Amino acid sequence: MANQSELLPRESLLWIFAAQFAALLPHFAQLPLWIVCAWAFAVYWRLEVFRGRRDLPGRTVKLLVVGLTVAGLALSYRRWFALEPMVALLAISFTLKNLELVSRRDAFLSLLLAYFVAATLFVYEQTIPYALYGTVCVVVVTAALAAQLGHFSARPRRALGLSLRLLAQAVPLMLLLFIVMPRLGPLWAVPQNNSGTTTGISDSMTPGDFTRLSKSDKPALRIAFDGPIPPPEQRYWRGLVYADFDGRRWSQGFGVDPREGGVVRWQGREQKLPEVGPRYRYRVIQEATNNPWLFAMARPISDTRGVGETADDRLLKKRPVYNRFAYDVRSWPRETLTDDRELSDFEYRRYLQLPRGGNPRTRAWAEEFHASGLGAEEISAHVLKYFNRSFTYTLKPPALGADSIDDFLFGSQQGFCEHFASSYVFTMRAAGVPARVVAGYQGGEWVEQEEYLLVREYDAHAWAEIWLPGRGWQRVDPTAAVSPERIRDGLQSAAADEFMQDSLLQLHRISVLNRLRLEWDMINYRWYQTVVSFDSDKQENLLKKLLGEVSPLRLAAFIAVPVALALTGMLLWLWLSNRGRRLPPASRLYQKFCRRMARAGIARRPGEAPRDFARRVGIEMPALAPMVERITAAFERAAYGEDPAAEKQLRRLLRQWSPRANFVFGRTADGGRIATGE
Amino acid sequence: MQKLISAIVADIGKVLLGKDHQVKLALACLLSRGHLLIEDLPGMGKTTLAHALAQVLGLSYKRVQFTSDMLPADILGVSIFERDSGQFRFHEGPVFSQLLLADEINRASPKTQSALLEAMEERQVSVDGETRPLPEPFFVIATQNPLHQSGTFSLPESQLDRFLMRISLGYPTREAERALFLGADPRAQLQQLKPRVDVTALKKMQGLVGQVKASESLLDYLERLVLHTRQSPECAVGLSPRGALALLHAARAWALIHGRGHLLPEDIQAVLPSVAGHRLQSDSHGDWGDGTQLVERLMRQVDIIAA
Repeated sequence: MANQSELLPRESLLWIFAAQFAALLPHFAQLPLWIVCAWAFAVYWRLEVFRGRRDLPGRTVKLLVVGLTVAGLALSYRRWFALEPMVALLAISFTLKNLELVSRRDAFLSLLLAYFVAATLFVYEQTIPYALYGTVCVVVVTAALAAQLGHFSARPRRALGLSLRLLAQAVPLMLLLFIVMPRLGPLWAVPQNNSGTTTGISDSMTPGDFTRLSKSDKPALRIAFDGPIPPPEQRYWRGLVYADFDGRRWSQGFGVDPREGGVVRWQGREQKLPEVGPRYRYRVIQEATNNPWLFAMARPISDTRGVGETADDRLLKKRPVYNRFAYDVRSWPRETLTDDRELSDFEYRRYLQLPRGGNPRTRAWAEEFHASGLGAEEISAHVLKYFNRSFTYTLKPPALGADSIDDFLFGSQQGFCEHFASSYVFTMRAAGVPARVVAGYQGGEWVEQEEYLLVREYDAHAWAEIWLPGRGWQRVDPTAAVSPERIRDGLQSAAADEFMQDSLLQLHRISVLNRLRLEWDMINYRWYQTVVSFDSDKQENLLKKLLGEVSPLRLAAFIAVPVALALTGMLLWLWLSNRGRRLPPASRLYQKFCRRMARAGIARRPGEAPRDFARRVGIEMPALAPMVERITAAFERAAYGEDPAAEKQLRRLLRQWSPRANFVFGRTADGGRIATGE
Repeated sequence: MQKLISAIVADIGKVLLGKDHQVKLALACLLSRGHLLIEDLPGMGKTTLAHALAQVLGLSYKRVQFTSDMLPADILGVSIFERDSGQFRFHEGPVFSQLLLADEINRASPKTQSALLEAMEERQVSVDGETRPLPEPFFVIATQNPLHQSGTFSLPESQLDRFLMRISLGYPTREAERALFLGADPRAQLQQLKPRVDVTALKKMQGLVGQVKASESLLDYLERLVLHTRQSPECAVGLSPRGALALLHAARAWALIHGRGHLLPEDIQAVLPSVAGHRLQSDSHGDWGDGTQLVERLMRQVDIIAA
């Protein structure tokens, strides 16, 4: 049995519970309900023990509980080696530890576990609010550690104060470690729950998809440019290419997705770069979408690990984007490239594919163009002109019938990007021009202070690309023909009346709030740029920038110099604050005398009064006694009698005398030259 | 003045052999208008010292032997109805004297102790709603048996603080004891002591204590001492401002007794164990010994000249 001093002080128990609660709180949302209940029950039991109403559970009960929880975990989670079951295991071990929380050792174990649980929070979320909450967690857990001494230390103010002080002192070390600690790649891939719903643009387009997106003002991309910034009409962030149309739904079609055998040039493979340099270099930070596609301007190449380029000029990530993901892109506008522009037979068929039947009017209309022998560009111009003449851009189009293209082109004539893109591509294909629908984002809000482009979900857009023999794929945006302001100024000005109409509060109409939201986004952006995405590459870059080159010697100096500076500063501060005001002159003179005496071999002890010291000198070094006697008397009168004459006398005595030589200049009365007997 | 004081010390030294230091401390305590607590075993000369002081200084002297069944009225006095005058008349208790020896104060119940200690602090007594001033000068010498003796109520810290000094006499030296054996009966000698001063002279002497000069350097040293008791982990409780002031007063009286117009660090060191010993407490574990040991370390650690 633990002896009394190792037993847990009662006050600290509540602290442990507080720390556990703080660490577990964010997990409660994800854990199965029974674990939350088990935790609450264990805490309740331990409190009953604390109040003396119940005993700690015996071995049988404990074994039973362990069996039950393992069974519960097995039932709750099918897959074992995934993140959630591991966190659940941690939480449950935390809970069970409460049932045998007896000694200090148990408490420390539980609290160290709490640090770990608090850290697992960042596997799920890395945003600022969670980071702040993580800090709060660490403060509470440290306070709980400080409170383990019980009694006085367990008072909330004292424990929290101590914890805050300790952590504040640890901040410089933390920053230093953040910068220099080697960033290890993931040692093992943590399987994450990928059943989460996907957000953003999906791999197929049915009428209404973009209406849903237009109602969301969540950020989708943040793009920072290195060098020139594309003008608004060039900001087409391509994400998906839809080639397959079944009369209602556009989809990628077979063999495009790498999971279905689509060809992707993964980064790292030898590839020929275009002869001219890229026009745009930029870094895209993409919010989690749970989809593998990335967004970039045509034609992109990325050096970021895990990113590949597809044949239709898009970027893909090997694993879906479960967390915010940053990638560097170089883009070559298509007209600057001179690679061979030939479509294979397969591609011809793919981009001319149309459903077997339906939309007869459109087909007939397109057939006219085809028959009249117009070129692809002329057909396109005709169609766009038709759009421009009598179509309206609205986010609330009327419903379309079974022949949706016919209904749209010759009936309602109201719609937005997906209608225009879809009907345009249909018409072009029907007229024999290879065409495809491209989905992604268009535009974005330029954030001046931080210099990045903020693209929100409502910037989602669909447009078209047509194949021109000899010139390759050309972007055509039929929406621009109807509503140029949609392309130039974004959705908000193109459909001002309808924009975000369904949202509960028309917050986007308040400019102050818009500004605040932009500011908040900026802070988030900076947070991600500087903290979350600080990987080994960025670390090396930073260290190179700071040190010139990264060598062990320089790294050591980088660590040692700030530490040395901080310590020197502290030393100086201590010295200065200790020195206080200057001593009165008599005391300074006496100190000088004491230093001389110390050199001569007899040092005054701190608490030794001058008279006592003189007496000791008289005993230990009788030769010095007369002079020491006089100096002491003069000092006493000067320092304590506040006699200015005595101070002068003391000064004179000291100027003339040294204990080593015991030589008094110009005086013979004190014996002139006498050996001191050293 | 110096001669007078030496004579007083010498006179008392005749009956209390070999205890010059304690006699001077007691005198310093009296001159700085403080009260004195003597803590020692029975038969060490506590009563003799008190009596001799009263004799030599010409003070009216009363002695109260404290017992466990004593009541406050036994000390302060009581109003008694007198049949002749048909009125209550106040009968003064032993506290109405210039020098009161409160023998074995820790045998009395806390109620009685506090009655005396209040009178010491206020220098007046309130009985039946009437406030009566105590004679001037008023000086209490309380004696206390060491606390581990049975049947005692130890004085709480707040009451210990009322005493300017706590001293203990200790066993006499061999020579002093031999002289005691050979000499005449101390009790008879005590009777022969003649007053050296009267009350006005004593008051004048007390007034001189305040004129002893304390220089900046000395006050610095005093500050460092006090600060050390408050900051050092050794002391659970540091010296209060009252304690610091008591230290300064006592040191001044000590300097006056030694014929100096200004204070020296030695003066503070001389009175420090008596003034601070009962005011300092070690931390709760008692790792650092009792007050006396704390004071010893304090004197060793605090530099006299500079911080």
